Amino acid sequence: MAFWKDFDEIVTAEMASTAGGLAAGTMLAFITNQIELIPALLIFLPGFLEMRGNISGSLSARLSSALFLGATKPKVRKNRILRGNVAAAMLLVVVVSIILGVVAFFANAVFFGVVDYRIIAIALIAGILSNVVEVPIAVLTTFWLFRHGHDPNNIMGPYVTTTGDITSIISVFIAIVII
Amino acid sequence: MSRKKLLQRVTKVRRHEHHPILHHVHRKYGISRKTLFYMKEYGPHSHIAHVIVRESLKILIMASVISSIGGISLQFMEGKLLAIIPLLILIPAMNNMVGDFGCIVSSKFTTMLYMGKVGGKWWKSRHLHRLFLVILISSFIMSVFIGVAASVIGYWSGSFLTFGMFLKILAIAVLSNLILVGVIFCVSIIGGLGIYRKREDPNNFLIPIATSVADLLNLVIFAILVGMFF
Repeated sequence: MAFWKDFDEIVTAEMASTAGGLAAGTMLAFITNQIELIPALLIFLPGFLEMRGNISGSLSARLSSALFLGATKPKVRKNRILRGNVAAAMLLVVVVSIILGVVAFFANAVFFGVVDYRIIAIALIAGILSNVVEVPIAVLTTFWLFRHGHDPNNIMGPYVTTTGDITSIISVFIAIVII
Repeated sequence: MSRKKLLQRVTKVRRHEHHPILHHVHRKYGISRKTLFYMKEYGPHSHIAHVIVRESLKILIMASVISSIGGISLQFMEGKLLAIIPLLILIPAMNNMVGDFGCIVSSKFTTMLYMGKVGGKWWKSRHLHRLFLVILISSFIMSVFIGVAASVIGYWSGSFLTFGMFLKILAIAVLSNLILVGVIFCVSIIGGLGIYRKREDPNNFLIPIATSVADLLNLVIFAILVGMFF
């Protein structure tokens, strides 16, 4: 029955994805004091979570394609394609984080009349911190899955969304503490 | 020309060039077009990081900024969200779920278009009816699950919660999801058919469009419902 097969697959994948979302939400609940202290954090957060999932998801998808095509091997050292992908992920995070921080800053100034530059610094620090954790997780898990005969494309999407949400919230918390 | 020399020439083809050598190598040696495309795209003469950043920066900024615009509606509700913790816990879970459904509906609808399962009279397609039913039932079950889970986690973490508040949280999760499933289907069908009729590949456009619209509306509808119920 195609209906039940689709239903099973969708609900199973969604369970994994929403479990990560709930874990991230729980962490968010523990930093409510910080959310109150930093204006515009709720404007910044949805975009930040979106960025994190997109960058890690594309990174593992590109690596999976390269692995299947034989263009690269699942090893970390002397790997030109991996080096290029990691450099791109780092650069993208820095640029998009700054843009998100600036958007949150202006939205906060225009809609709520609050001028607070700290959100731009928090965005940049949290972006870099989350990348330092998330990129190795995405790369090593993709390589591990490929070496063990799995298709990383089937697993990495929900996986990086889940881990990305959790690392993002922790990174934002650390960035707030630093600032 | 030998196979090795031909492949070396493929890697030297400029990125934006539609070179006949790709078709020649594909036909003569049976090497898939995707492999040849990858060799051309990320070959030894291309700067990988530069190619990736240039290709993905615009769509990444667009998707992230659209989500941040949705975040403005959350900021308006900050007081209520911080007072009722289960609502705060709901946000990332609902965002993930709605984005996932946008992805599933768009990709499945595009596949249906290519396989001829959806024609001019798309509303009569039994495949589309089945997809709608699967997504509707899955989203209902998942929204009840996250509504209950967020309430339980919130209650355990010390948030004040009455049975009436629990029912309202559940209603917010279910209502916003059901509205969004309808929106996702409208965007996917209208957008997918429009792009397909222009002889473009809906895969390249539909998923970012559907997920961005779903993310933005999710936060806006969520904020409106929170304002209405609390």
